[in-house]
Amino acid sequence: MADVVLRAVDVHKCYGDLEVLKGVTFEVDRGQVKVIIGPSGSGKSTLLRCLAMLEAPDGGDVFLEGERLSALGEKQLAPHRSEVGMVFQRFNLFQNMTALGNVMCGLVHVRRLPKGEARQRALELLARVGLEDKASQYPDELSGGQQQRVAIARALVMRPKAMLFDEPTSALDVELVREVLDVMEALAREGTTMVVVTHELRFAQHVASSVLMMDDGRIVEEAPPKEFFSAPKEERTKRFLDLVEL
Amino acid sequence: MLASFDSHLFWTALTSGPYWRGALTALELTVVALATAVVIGFFVALGALSRLRRLRTLAWIYNWLFRATPTLLQLYFVWYALPQIWGVFAGHWFTPFAAAWIALSLNEAAYMSEIIRAGLLSVDPGQELAGRALGMTRRQILGRVIVPQAVRIVIPPTGNEFITLLKLTSLAFVISLHELLTAAQELASSTFQYPEPLLASLVYYLAIVSALMLIQSRLERRFTFTSRRRRRAAPATAAVPVVSHDAR
Repeated sequence: MADVVLRAVDVHKCYGDLEVLKGVTFEVDRGQVKVIIGPSGSGKSTLLRCLAMLEAPDGGDVFLEGERLSALGEKQLAPHRSEVGMVFQRFNLFQNMTALGNVMCGLVHVRRLPKGEARQRALELLARVGLEDKASQYPDELSGGQQQRVAIARALVMRPKAMLFDEPTSALDVELVREVLDVMEALAREGTTMVVVTHELRFAQHVASSVLMMDDGRIVEEAPPKEFFSAPKEERTKRFLDLVEL
Repeated sequence: MLASFDSHLFWTALTSGPYWRGALTALELTVVALATAVVIGFFVALGALSRLRRLRTLAWIYNWLFRATPTLLQLYFVWYALPQIWGVFAGHWFTPFAAAWIALSLNEAAYMSEIIRAGLLSVDPGQELAGRALGMTRRQILGRVIVPQAVRIVIPPTGNEFITLLKLTSLAFVISLHELLTAAQELASSTFQYPEPLLASLVYYLAIVSALMLIQSRLERRFTFTSRRRRRAAPATAAVPVVSHDAR
Protein backbone atom coordinates (compact mmCIF):
# COMPACT_ATOMS: atom_id res chain seq x y z
CA MET A 1 0.00 0.00 0.00
CA ALA A 2 1.15 3.50 -0.75
CA ASP A 3 2.55 5.54 2.10
CA VAL A 4 -0.10 8.23 2.49
CA VAL A 5 0.99 11.36 4.34
CA LEU A 6 -2.09 13.54 4.12
CA ARG A 7 -5.57 12.40 3.29
CA ALA A 8 -8.83 14.29 3.05
CA VAL A 9 -12.02 12.26 2.89
CA ASP A 10 -15.26 13.84 1.68
CA VAL A 11 -14.35 17.22 3.16
CA HIS A 12 -17.06 19.87 3.27
CA LYS A 13 -16.56 23.49 4.28
CA CYS A 14 -19.09 26.30 4.45
CA TYR A 15 -18.76 29.99 5.16
CA GLY A 16 -22.25 30.99 6.14
CA ASP A 17 -24.50 29.98 3.28
CA LEU A 18 -21.62 29.56 0.87
CA GLU A 19 -20.42 25.99 0.49
CA VAL A 20 -16.78 26.31 -0.56
CA LEU A 21 -15.86 22.62 -0.46
CA LYS A 22 -18.51 20.18 -1.60
CA GLY A 23 -17.02 16.85 -0.67
CA VAL A 24 -13.35 16.70 -1.57
CA THR A 25 -11.42 13.47 -1.34
CA PHE A 26 -7.72 13.77 -1.85
CA GLU A 27 -4.47 12.23 -0.74
CA VAL A 28 -0.78 12.77 -1.14
CA ASP A 29 1.82 10.03 -0.77
CA ARG A 30 5.28 10.44 0.70
CA GLY A 31 7.57 12.16 -1.77
CA GLN A 32 4.76 13.15 -4.12
CA VAL A 33 4.21 16.66 -5.42
CA LYS A 34 0.57 17.41 -6.10
CA VAL A 35 -0.28 20.60 -7.90
CA ILE A 36 -3.79 22.01 -7.64
CA ILE A 37 -5.02 24.44 -10.27
CA GLY A 38 -8.39 26.00 -10.89
CA PRO A 39 -10.17 29.34 -11.09
CA SER A 40 -10.29 31.63 -8.07
CA GLY A 41 -13.09 30.80 -5.71
CA SER A 42 -12.93 27.12 -6.62
CA GLY A 43 -11.89 26.15 -3.07
CA LYS A 44 -8.16 25.47 -3.63
CA SER A 45 -6.97 27.64 -0.75
CA THR A 46 -9.71 26.40 1.53
CA LEU A 47 -8.71 22.81 0.85
CA LEU A 48 -5.11 23.68 1.70
CA ARG A 49 -6.19 25.38 4.92
CA CYS A 50 -8.19 22.33 5.90
CA LEU A 51 -5.15 20.14 5.25
CA ALA A 52 -3.04 22.50 7.37
CA MET A 53 -5.74 22.34 10.07
CA LEU A 54 -6.11 26.10 10.00
CA GLU A 55 -9.78 25.57 9.23
CA ALA A 56 -11.89 22.81 10.71
CA PRO A 57 -13.94 21.01 8.06
CA ASP A 58 -17.70 21.07 8.55
CA GLY A 59 -17.95 17.52 7.28
CA GLY A 60 -15.55 14.72 6.38
CA ASP A 61 -12.15 13.95 7.82
CA VAL A 62 -8.53 14.91 7.51
CA PHE A 63 -5.80 12.39 8.35
CA LEU A 64 -2.10 12.99 8.88
CA GLU A 65 -0.21 9.70 8.60
CA GLY A 66 -3.36 7.87 9.53
CA GLU A 67 -4.22 10.00 12.55
CA ARG A 68 -7.64 11.56 12.38
CA LEU A 69 -6.99 15.27 12.94
CA SER A 70 -10.55 16.38 12.45
CA ALA A 71 -11.36 14.63 15.73
CA LEU A 72 -8.98 16.83 17.73
CA GLY A 73 -9.77 20.04 19.61
CA GLU A 74 -7.99 23.36 19.16
CA LYS A 75 -5.53 22.75 22.02
CA GLN A 76 -4.46 19.32 20.75
CA LEU A 77 -4.22 20.57 17.20
CA ALA A 78 -1.52 23.18 17.82
CA PRO A 79 1.40 20.72 18.01
CA HIS A 80 0.11 18.76 14.99
CA ARG A 81 0.03 21.90 12.88
CA SER A 82 3.78 22.16 13.22
CA GLU A 83 4.11 18.85 11.37
CA VAL A 84 2.65 20.36 8.22
CA GLY A 85 4.51 23.32 6.74
CA MET A 86 2.47 26.12 5.23
CA VAL A 87 3.65 28.83 2.85
CA PHE A 88 1.30 31.71 2.14
CA GLN A 89 0.72 33.90 -0.87
CA ARG A 90 1.62 37.03 1.10
CA PHE A 91 4.55 35.40 2.95
CA ASN A 92 3.16 36.40 6.38
CA LEU A 93 6.61 36.71 7.94
CA PHE A 94 6.53 37.98 11.50
CA GLN A 95 7.25 41.67 11.00
CA ASN A 96 8.77 42.13 14.43
CA MET A 97 11.44 39.47 13.93
CA THR A 98 14.54 39.27 11.76
CA ALA A 99 14.78 36.60 9.07
CA LEU A 100 16.68 34.46 11.57
CA GLY A 101 14.11 35.17 14.29
CA ASN A 102 11.33 34.07 11.97
CA VAL A 103 13.01 30.77 11.20
CA MET A 104 13.96 30.15 14.85
CA CYS A 105 10.54 31.01 16.23
CA GLY A 106 8.87 27.63 15.76
CA LEU A 107 11.88 25.71 17.04
CA VAL A 108 12.14 27.79 20.20
CA HIS A 109 8.48 28.26 21.08
CA VAL A 110 6.84 25.15 19.64
CA ARG A 111 9.61 22.54 19.68
CA ARG A 112 11.19 24.05 22.81
CA LEU A 113 14.72 23.66 21.46
CA PRO A 114 17.54 25.51 23.24
CA LYS A 115 18.26 28.86 21.56
CA GLY A 116 21.75 27.89 20.45
CA GLU A 117 20.62 24.76 18.69
CA ALA A 118 17.62 26.50 17.14
CA ARG A 119 19.90 29.23 15.85
CA GLN A 120 22.24 26.68 14.31
CA ARG A 121 19.44 24.88 12.50
CA ALA A 122 17.78 28.10 11.41
CA LEU A 123 21.03 29.36 9.91
CA GLU A 124 21.43 26.09 8.01
CA LEU A 125 17.96 26.49 6.56
CA LEU A 126 18.58 30.12 5.62
CA ALA A 127 21.73 28.98 3.83
CA ARG A 128 19.70 26.37 2.00
CA VAL A 129 17.40 29.03 0.55
CA GLY A 130 20.45 31.19 -0.18
CA LEU A 131 19.80 33.88 2.42
CA GLU A 132 22.40 33.34 5.13
CA ASP A 133 23.65 36.88 4.58
CA LYS A 134 20.17 38.27 5.29
CA ALA A 135 19.78 36.63 8.70
CA SER A 136 19.68 39.90 10.64
CA GLN A 137 17.40 41.76 8.23
CA TYR A 138 13.75 42.43 9.04
CA PRO A 139 11.03 41.44 6.55
CA ASP A 140 10.52 45.10 5.60
CA GLU A 141 14.07 45.20 4.28
CA LEU A 142 13.77 42.12 2.05
CA SER A 143 12.35 41.75 -1.45
CA GLY A 144 9.19 39.71 -1.95
CA GLY A 145 11.18 36.79 -3.30
CA GLN A 146 13.55 36.88 -0.35
CA GLN A 147 10.65 37.08 2.09
CA GLN A 148 9.02 34.07 0.50
CA ARG A 149 12.25 32.09 0.71
CA VAL A 150 12.53 32.96 4.41
CA ALA A 151 8.92 31.82 4.79
CA ILE A 152 9.80 28.51 3.14
CA ALA A 153 12.78 28.14 5.48
CA ARG A 154 10.57 28.93 8.46
CA ALA A 155 8.19 26.11 7.53
CA LEU A 156 10.95 23.71 6.49
CA VAL A 157 13.02 24.06 9.65
CA MET A 158 10.28 22.23 11.56
CA ARG A 159 10.98 19.16 9.39
CA PRO A 160 7.33 18.84 8.42
CA LYS A 161 5.83 15.70 7.00
CA ALA A 162 4.38 17.70 4.13
CA MET A 163 4.76 21.21 2.76
CA LEU A 164 1.71 23.12 1.56
CA PHE A 165 2.11 26.11 -0.75
CA ASP A 166 -0.79 28.50 -1.26
CA GLU A 167 -0.07 30.42 -4.47
CA PRO A 168 3.50 31.11 -3.31
CA THR A 169 4.45 33.22 -6.33
CA SER A 170 1.23 35.10 -7.00
CA ALA A 171 2.20 38.17 -4.97
CA LEU A 172 5.67 38.42 -6.47
CA ASP A 173 7.06 40.66 -9.17
CA VAL A 174 7.67 38.63 -12.32
CA GLU A 175 11.44 38.67 -12.03
CA LEU A 176 11.29 37.35 -8.46
CA VAL A 177 9.15 34.31 -9.24
CA ARG A 178 12.09 32.25 -10.49
CA GLU A 179 14.10 32.33 -7.24
CA VAL A 180 11.14 30.96 -5.32
CA LEU A 181 10.32 28.28 -7.88
CA ASP A 182 13.99 27.23 -7.88
CA VAL A 183 13.81 26.57 -4.16
CA MET A 184 10.57 24.65 -4.56
CA GLU A 185 11.95 22.55 -7.41
CA ALA A 186 14.98 21.68 -5.32
CA LEU A 187 12.68 20.57 -2.51
CA ALA A 188 10.72 18.39 -4.91
CA ARG A 189 13.91 16.77 -6.17
CA GLU A 190 14.92 15.97 -2.62
CA GLY A 191 11.71 14.04 -2.17
CA THR A 192 9.72 16.53 -0.09
CA THR A 193 6.03 15.76 0.06
CA MET A 194 4.31 18.83 -1.36
CA VAL A 195 0.87 20.15 -2.19
CA VAL A 196 1.07 23.29 -4.30
CA VAL A 197 -1.74 25.60 -5.32
CA THR A 198 -0.38 27.67 -8.17
CA HIS A 199 -0.95 29.23 -11.55
CA GLU A 200 2.58 28.36 -12.63
CA LEU A 201 1.63 25.68 -15.11
CA ARG A 202 5.19 25.14 -16.21
CA PHE A 203 6.14 24.28 -12.66
CA ALA A 204 3.25 21.81 -12.63
CA GLN A 205 4.43 20.26 -15.90
CA HIS A 206 8.00 19.78 -14.77
CA VAL A 207 7.67 18.94 -11.12
CA ALA A 208 4.24 17.53 -10.31
CA SER A 209 3.57 13.86 -9.72
CA SER A 210 0.00 14.66 -10.59
CA VAL A 211 -2.08 17.72 -11.34
CA LEU A 212 -5.56 18.33 -9.98
CA MET A 213 -8.21 20.58 -11.41
CA MET A 214 -10.62 22.12 -8.92
CA ASP A 215 -13.82 23.90 -9.75
CA ASP A 216 -16.80 24.93 -7.68
CA GLY A 217 -15.70 23.13 -4.52
CA ARG A 218 -14.91 19.82 -6.17
CA ILE A 219 -11.95 18.06 -7.71
CA VAL A 220 -12.84 17.78 -11.36
CA GLU A 221 -9.91 15.83 -12.64
CA GLU A 222 -6.61 14.39 -11.49
CA ALA A 223 -3.93 13.09 -13.82
CA PRO A 224 -0.15 12.93 -14.29
CA PRO A 225 1.02 16.24 -15.84
CA LYS A 226 1.70 14.85 -19.32
CA GLU A 227 -1.78 13.47 -19.63
CA PHE A 228 -3.38 16.40 -17.83
CA PHE A 229 -1.96 19.03 -20.15
CA SER A 230 -1.95 17.14 -23.45
CA ALA A 231 -5.19 15.24 -23.17
CA PRO A 232 -7.46 16.52 -20.42
CA LYS A 233 -10.57 14.40 -20.09
CA GLU A 234 -12.94 16.93 -18.59
CA GLU A 235 -14.52 19.78 -20.51
CA ARG A 236 -13.98 22.09 -17.53
CA THR A 237 -10.25 21.41 -17.51
CA LYS A 238 -9.99 22.05 -21.26
CA ARG A 239 -11.76 25.37 -20.93
CA PHE A 240 -9.50 26.41 -18.05
CA LEU A 241 -6.31 25.39 -19.83
CA ASP A 242 -7.42 27.26 -22.97
CA LEU A 243 -7.70 30.43 -20.93
CA VAL A 244 -4.41 30.09 -19.12
CA GLU A 245 -1.34 30.50 -21.26
CA LEU A 246 1.44 28.04 -20.77
CA MET B 1 3.66 95.60 33.13
CA LEU B 2 6.31 93.11 34.04
CA ALA B 3 7.42 95.54 36.65
CA SER B 4 5.25 93.75 39.14
CA PHE B 5 6.85 90.38 38.38
CA ASP B 6 8.71 89.22 41.47
CA SER B 7 11.46 86.97 40.15
CA HIS B 8 12.58 86.18 43.66
CA LEU B 9 9.14 84.84 44.52
CA PHE B 10 9.17 82.88 41.23
CA TRP B 11 12.49 81.19 42.06
CA THR B 12 11.46 80.54 45.64
CA ALA B 13 8.31 78.88 44.42
CA LEU B 14 10.14 76.88 41.78
CA THR B 15 12.60 75.45 44.27
CA SER B 16 10.27 75.08 47.23
CA GLY B 17 9.40 71.79 48.90
CA PRO B 18 5.65 71.87 48.21
CA TYR B 19 6.30 72.37 44.49
CA TRP B 20 8.83 69.58 44.31
CA ARG B 21 6.64 67.21 46.25
CA GLY B 22 3.55 68.33 44.33
CA ALA B 23 5.23 67.73 40.99
CA LEU B 24 6.55 64.39 42.18
CA THR B 25 3.07 63.40 43.36
CA ALA B 26 1.54 64.40 40.03
CA LEU B 27 4.20 62.48 38.13
CA GLU B 28 3.92 59.41 40.35
CA LEU B 29 0.16 59.39 40.13
CA THR B 30 0.29 59.73 36.35
CA VAL B 31 2.80 56.92 35.95
CA VAL B 32 1.10 54.42 38.24
CA ALA B 33 -2.39 55.25 36.99
CA LEU B 34 -1.33 54.95 33.36
CA ALA B 35 0.54 51.69 34.02
CA THR B 36 -2.51 50.24 35.77
CA ALA B 37 -4.77 51.53 33.01
CA VAL B 38 -2.63 49.86 30.34
CA VAL B 39 -2.95 46.51 32.11
CA ILE B 40 -6.72 46.81 32.70
CA GLY B 41 -7.20 48.32 29.24
CA PHE B 42 -5.35 45.41 27.64
CA PHE B 43 -7.76 42.91 29.14
CA VAL B 44 -10.79 45.06 28.33
CA ALA B 45 -9.52 45.23 24.73
CA LEU B 46 -9.13 41.45 24.63
CA GLY B 47 -12.68 41.20 25.96
CA ALA B 48 -13.94 43.56 23.26
CA LEU B 49 -12.25 41.42 20.59
CA SER B 50 -13.31 38.11 22.11
CA ARG B 51 -15.39 35.55 20.27
CA LEU B 52 -17.51 35.23 23.40
CA ARG B 53 -20.45 37.56 23.35
CA ARG B 54 -20.54 37.79 27.14
CA LEU B 55 -17.00 39.16 27.28
CA ARG B 56 -17.73 41.63 24.51
CA THR B 57 -20.75 42.88 26.43
CA LEU B 58 -18.74 43.26 29.64
CA ALA B 59 -16.07 45.25 27.81
CA TRP B 60 -18.71 47.42 26.23
CA ILE B 61 -20.36 48.17 29.57
CA TYR B 62 -17.00 49.03 31.12
CA ASN B 63 -16.14 51.53 28.39
CA TRP B 64 -19.60 52.98 28.42
CA LEU B 65 -19.65 53.46 32.19
CA PHE B 66 -16.25 55.10 32.53
CA ARG B 67 -16.36 57.26 29.46
CA ALA B 68 -19.91 58.49 29.89
CA THR B 69 -19.42 59.85 33.41
CA PRO B 70 -17.27 62.84 34.43
CA THR B 71 -13.83 62.06 35.83
CA LEU B 72 -14.51 64.47 38.66
CA LEU B 73 -17.62 62.54 39.63
CA GLN B 74 -15.61 59.31 39.59
CA LEU B 75 -12.99 60.86 41.87
CA TYR B 76 -15.67 62.05 44.30
CA PHE B 77 -17.35 58.69 44.20
CA VAL B 78 -14.21 56.71 44.95
CA TRP B 79 -13.10 59.04 47.74
CA TYR B 80 -16.41 59.75 49.49
CA ALA B 81 -18.92 57.07 48.51
CA LEU B 82 -16.79 53.96 48.28
CA PRO B 83 -15.77 53.90 52.00
CA GLN B 84 -19.45 54.13 52.97
CA ILE B 85 -20.40 51.27 50.68
CA TRP B 86 -17.45 49.00 51.34
CA GLY B 87 -15.65 48.83 54.68
CA VAL B 88 -12.31 47.91 53.12
CA PHE B 89 -12.03 51.45 51.82
CA ALA B 90 -12.57 53.00 55.25
CA GLY B 91 -9.11 51.93 56.46
CA HIS B 92 -6.07 54.13 56.99
CA TRP B 93 -4.45 52.85 53.84
CA PHE B 94 -7.07 54.62 51.79
CA THR B 95 -5.24 57.91 51.25
CA PRO B 96 -6.18 60.60 48.74
CA PHE B 97 -3.34 59.25 46.58
CA ALA B 98 -4.77 55.72 46.64
CA ALA B 99 -8.24 57.02 45.84
CA ALA B 100 -6.96 59.12 42.95
CA TRP B 101 -4.94 56.15 41.70
CA ILE B 102 -8.01 53.91 41.66
CA ALA B 103 -10.33 56.47 40.10
CA LEU B 104 -7.92 57.66 37.42
CA SER B 105 -6.79 54.10 36.55
CA LEU B 106 -10.32 52.86 36.07
CA ASN B 107 -11.21 55.93 34.05
CA GLU B 108 -8.09 55.86 31.92
CA ALA B 109 -8.39 52.11 31.28
CA ALA B 110 -11.56 52.74 29.28
CA TYR B 111 -9.70 55.07 26.93
CA MET B 112 -6.59 52.87 26.82
CA SER B 113 -8.67 49.81 25.94
CA GLU B 114 -9.88 51.51 22.77
CA ILE B 115 -6.35 52.52 21.85
CA ILE B 116 -5.04 49.02 22.49
CA ARG B 117 -7.94 47.47 20.60
CA ALA B 118 -7.10 49.64 17.59
CA GLY B 119 -3.47 48.60 17.91
CA LEU B 120 -4.30 44.89 18.00
CA LEU B 121 -6.64 45.27 15.04
CA SER B 122 -3.94 47.04 13.05
CA VAL B 123 -1.81 43.90 12.96
CA ASP B 124 -2.29 41.95 9.72
CA PRO B 125 -4.45 38.83 10.37
CA GLY B 126 -1.92 36.90 8.27
CA GLN B 127 0.47 37.18 11.21
CA GLU B 128 -1.85 35.16 13.42
CA LEU B 129 -2.48 32.67 10.62
CA ALA B 130 1.27 32.11 10.18
CA GLY B 131 1.69 31.63 13.92
CA ARG B 132 -1.08 29.04 14.02
CA ALA B 133 0.36 27.24 11.01
CA LEU B 134 3.66 26.97 12.89
CA GLY B 135 1.87 25.34 15.80
CA MET B 136 2.09 28.27 18.21
CA THR B 137 -0.66 28.62 20.80
CA ARG B 138 -2.96 31.63 20.80
CA ARG B 139 -1.20 33.02 23.85
CA GLN B 140 2.22 32.67 22.21
CA ILE B 141 0.99 34.37 19.05
CA LEU B 142 -0.46 37.22 21.07
CA GLY B 143 2.64 37.70 23.21
CA ARG B 144 5.37 37.09 20.65
CA VAL B 145 3.87 38.36 17.44
CA ILE B 146 0.79 40.54 17.78
CA VAL B 147 1.49 42.63 20.88
CA PRO B 148 5.05 43.63 19.86
CA GLN B 149 3.66 44.87 16.54
CA ALA B 150 0.69 46.62 18.13
CA VAL B 151 2.97 48.51 20.53
CA ARG B 152 4.30 50.66 17.71
CA ILE B 153 0.77 51.81 16.90
CA VAL B 154 -0.23 52.25 20.51
CA ILE B 155 2.70 54.43 21.65
CA PRO B 156 1.73 57.83 20.13
CA PRO B 157 -1.86 57.89 21.43
CA THR B 158 -0.61 56.59 24.78
CA GLY B 159 1.71 59.60 24.93
CA ASN B 160 -1.38 61.72 24.49
CA GLU B 161 -3.04 59.86 27.33
CA PHE B 162 -0.05 60.45 29.58
CA ILE B 163 -0.32 64.19 29.02
CA THR B 164 -4.07 64.18 29.57
CA LEU B 165 -3.67 62.16 32.72
CA LEU B 166 -0.93 64.43 34.05
CA LYS B 167 -3.29 67.34 33.76
CA LEU B 168 -6.17 65.34 35.21
CA THR B 169 -4.15 64.71 38.37
CA SER B 170 -4.75 68.36 39.24
CA LEU B 171 -8.40 67.42 39.68
CA ALA B 172 -7.36 65.39 42.68
CA PHE B 173 -7.05 68.57 44.74
CA VAL B 174 -10.81 68.17 45.31
CA ILE B 175 -10.08 65.09 47.39
CA SER B 176 -7.30 66.97 49.21
CA LEU B 177 -4.38 65.42 47.37
CA HIS B 178 -1.39 67.75 47.56
CA GLU B 179 -0.23 67.91 44.00
CA LEU B 180 1.36 70.62 41.89
CA LEU B 181 -1.60 72.91 41.42
CA THR B 182 -2.42 72.78 45.13
CA ALA B 183 1.06 74.08 45.87
CA ALA B 184 0.57 76.96 43.45
CA GLN B 185 -2.82 77.85 44.88
CA GLU B 186 -1.62 77.79 48.45
CA LEU B 187 1.32 80.00 47.66
CA ALA B 188 -0.83 82.39 45.67
CA SER B 189 -3.44 82.74 48.37
CA SER B 190 -0.82 83.37 51.04
CA THR B 191 1.12 86.00 49.06
CA PHE B 192 -1.76 87.45 47.05
CA GLN B 193 0.53 87.13 44.04
CA TYR B 194 -0.73 84.99 41.19
CA PRO B 195 1.64 85.21 38.21
CA GLU B 196 4.74 83.84 39.91
CA PRO B 197 3.24 80.82 41.68
CA LEU B 198 1.21 79.81 38.63
CA LEU B 199 4.09 80.27 36.20
CA ALA B 200 6.32 78.22 38.48
CA SER B 201 3.90 75.29 38.37
CA LEU B 202 3.65 75.69 34.62
CA VAL B 203 7.41 75.18 34.36
CA TYR B 204 7.07 71.82 36.09
CA TYR B 205 4.31 70.66 33.75
CA LEU B 206 6.39 71.69 30.74
CA ALA B 207 9.44 69.86 32.12
CA ILE B 208 7.51 66.64 32.73
CA VAL B 209 5.87 66.66 29.31
CA SER B 210 9.19 67.42 27.60
CA ALA B 211 10.80 64.44 29.31
CA LEU B 212 7.88 62.29 28.23
CA MET B 213 8.19 63.36 24.61
CA LEU B 214 11.84 62.39 24.65
CA ILE B 215 11.06 58.96 26.09
CA GLN B 216 8.26 58.49 23.58
CA SER B 217 10.45 59.05 20.54
CA ARG B 218 13.01 56.61 21.97
CA LEU B 219 10.31 53.99 22.47
CA GLU B 220 8.96 54.49 18.98
CA ARG B 221 12.36 53.86 17.53
CA ARG B 222 12.76 50.81 19.73
CA PHE B 223 9.58 49.30 18.28
CA THR B 224 10.33 50.11 14.66
CA PHE B 225 11.52 46.84 13.25
CA THR B 226 14.47 47.52 11.02
CA SER B 227 18.06 46.43 11.41
CA ARG B 228 19.38 49.92 10.74
CA ARG B 229 17.36 51.55 13.52
CA ARG B 230 16.24 54.37 11.33
CA ARG B 231 16.41 57.82 12.85
CA ARG B 232 13.10 58.68 11.31
CA ALA B 233 10.23 56.84 12.91
CA ALA B 234 8.29 54.72 10.44
CA PRO B 235 4.81 56.00 9.67
CA ALA B 236 2.07 54.33 11.62
CA THR B 237 0.18 52.09 9.24
CA ALA B 238 -3.19 52.03 10.90
CA ALA B 239 -5.71 54.68 11.69
CA VAL B 240 -6.06 55.16 15.40
CA PRO B 241 -9.23 56.69 16.73
CA VAL B 242 -8.58 60.16 18.01
CA VAL B 243 -10.20 60.56 21.36
CA SER B 244 -10.90 64.05 22.51
CA HIS B 245 -10.42 64.49 26.21
CA ASP B 246 -11.00 68.08 26.95
CA ALA B 247 -14.41 67.44 28.43
CA ARG B 248 -13.30 64.72 30.82
